[in-house]
This record gives sequence, C-alpha cells and structure tokens, in this order.
Amino acid sequence: MATDDLTLVKRARSGDQRAFKLLLERYQRKVYSVALGMVRDKEEALDIAQEAFVKVYKYLDHFKGDSSFYTWLYRITVNICIDVLRRKAAARGDPVEYDDSLKVDSAEANIGALGTKLGTNPQKSALRKELAQKIQEALEQIPEKHRAILLLREIEGMSYEELARTLEIPKGTVMSRLFHARAKMQKILSEYLELDEAKSGIGNE
Amino acid sequence: MSSNPACQTFIPMLSPFIDGELSPAERMTVERHLVACQQCAMRAADLRAESGLVRVGMEMAADEVDFKDFAQKVLARITPERPPLLERIRLSVSELFTYHRGMMVTSLATAAAVLLLALPLIMRGGTPAGYASQRLEVQAVSIDESAHVAPVVMETESGDTIIWTVEHTHEKPGVADEERQEELDVDPDADRTKPRQDAPTGGEL
Repeated sequence: MATDDLTLVKRARSGDQRAFKLLLERYQRKVYSVALGMVRDKEEALDIAQEAFVKVYKYLDHFKGDSSFYTWLYRITVNICIDVLRRKAAARGDPVEYDDSLKVDSAEANIGALGTKLGTNPQKSALRKELAQKIQEALEQIPEKHRAILLLREIEGMSYEELARTLEIPKGTVMSRLFHARAKMQKILSEYLELDEAKSGIGNE
Repeated sequence: MSSNPACQTFIPMLSPFIDGELSPAERMTVERHLVACQQCAMRAADLRAESGLVRVGMEMAADEVDFKDFAQKVLARITPERPPLLERIRLSVSELFTYHRGMMVTSLATAAAVLLLALPLIMRGGTPAGYASQRLEVQAVSIDESAHVAPVVMETESGDTIIWTVEHTHEKPGVADEERQEELDVDPDADRTKPRQDAPTGGEL
C-alpha cells in the first residue's frame, strides 16, 4: 500500500529526500496540468511546477498538517501562477485582470450543444488534439481565479470544501466562481464545435 | 438567460448537482425539475460534457511531457551540498530498509538459503576424497616380477598420472572369465565347477 502524504511529509521534514521524491512523483503531473491550464505555456508551466515543489520543501516545517498536503501544495502552485500572470500583465502594461467585482458574461451557450456532440463522459480516444488545444485557449479567456477553481475541480477532483480551503475563500464563492467558469467554458467550446462542424460540413460537400 | 422563470432558480444549482455537492433535499428537488424540464436536463448534460472535456484535455496535455527528469531537477535545487560518503551510504541503506523492507527481507532470506545449500558443495569441492586429495607425484615406476603385477596407468583431469599396480594370479584367462560369469548368474551349483578356497570343502559321504 502507498505511504500516505502526511507520513511522507514527516519523513521529508527530518531530511529524508527519498520521501520528498515520492511526494513529488505523486503530484508532479497534476501540478503541471494546473500550471499549464493557468499560464498555457509548457515551459513556463514546468518552471512553475518546479518552483512550487521547491517552495513546498523550503517551507515544509511550516506545514501544520491540519489540512491535507495537497491543498497546501495547490495553493502554493496557484499563487505562483497568479504572480507570474500578474508580472506578465504588468510588463505588458495591462490593467490588473481580475477582481471579484468583474462582470461575468451572462449570455448562455447554445443549450445541448456540448452534451449532444461529446456525450457526458468524453474519452481520450475520442478527443482530437485540436480540441485539447482549444480547451487551453478557452481557459485563457476565463478570469484567473475562476480558472484556478475550474482546474482544481476537474484535474484534482477537489470537493467544494477543499477548494475553499485551498484558495482561502468561502464555499459560496467557490460555487459561484465554478458556475461562471463553466458557463464561459461551455460557451467557447460549443461555439468552437459548431464552427468546426460547419467547416467539416463544407468540406464534405 | 432562460425563457422559463423557474429555471433561473435551478441553473446555478446544476453545477453543484453534477459535482455531487448538493444536500439530499436539494438534489431531489433538482432531479424532479430535470424530469420535467428538457432544457435543464440538456444543460446538466452540457455541464458533464464540459467537465469531462477539461479533465481529459488537460490529461492529454500532460501526456506530452516527459517527467523522467522532473524530480531530479527539483531535488538538485533543494540539495544544498553533497553529504559525506559515509552519510550517503548510511542514508541509502536506511532508505532501502524503510521503503523496500519486504524486498530486502526476501532478498536476504534467498541469499541465506542459497548459501546454506551451496556451502556443503563448496566445502566438498575444497577437500576432495581419494587420490586427488593426496596430490600424488609419481616418482618411479617399477614392476616386481615376482609379484606379477600389472600396472594400470590413468591420467587425472589435472594432468597427474595415477598408476595402480594390480596383482595377477596365475589363472588362465578363460577360467577367470568363466568364474565371473558364474558369479553373475548366481548359479547354486557353482561350487562344483571351482571349489572356493575359503569355503568348506566337505568330504565324501
């Protein structure tokens, strides 16, 4: 049976690097995925994932163990992502992208478009590479804090309670941000699929 | 957003509904609504499709990355200096026993069993019995004519020569052959052919 996170954290704290390596290998893929969803650039996402683990190791003594290790790890990851995004925006001279008062797009997607075309449980084999790319593009159009919630929910499968703890926000805010993030994603992806269908329709004629 | 005013209440509940985050009472209310409202049923299907799409899409993106060196790169950043050799050996051994205890115990048990089996064989090989152990050296070969010996020369694997001197009795070859044949046949009347010297000769009746 795999050793639980907390035991590995304790061993890593006492200088056992092998224990830390096990933690690293357990979460590296998902931490990278969250970072990629946030910043979209592969190399940058890998750097962020590395940085997150380095930071976690550095502050291992500060981890109290009253929450799960991975909520702490993802909090650090998301915070690094937001810092990177803000630094980049500042360098470009863009205004700060997001705060909670930002108006959300209330226009609804074409109802049934996604569910009808993809089914309710899409599989890797059925997903084309372009669509996977489109998902990353769509994520970029969602406010960063909404994006973080959506990614943590879909990639790590966190409960609303865990999301609230990870991002240090009330559960109600989690629910509302997730709702808006999903509405926006649905709209972008269903538009893309309709466009894609129209294109392939022309090609077939 | 929706033509049916009742749906306005249910739409924000659909996201926590597909995540299993509603209370049992709320879930029942939503389920009842979904049976009656085709549009909301399609919205829930869209949400499930979108959720699966993001999860699978990000998994596909992570599949493109080789994480082979990722852990090493992080560990290289958090390792301040190389510990002394003895400390490294001590750590490796202790980690082996900590993380691969089962494997180590099995390996040690196997090694012990192999040693137990092999040791007698090795010992036997080291002290061979018979001529080989005496390391005989042939100094001279002489035939004592009065003893009527016949030398049998043999060569060992190591190149040594062994000479047996076999004493010959003055029997006719044919008689000796016959005797051997009779011994093999275990003929109860063998005594009649050639009386044995050590056997009671008996007298005439």
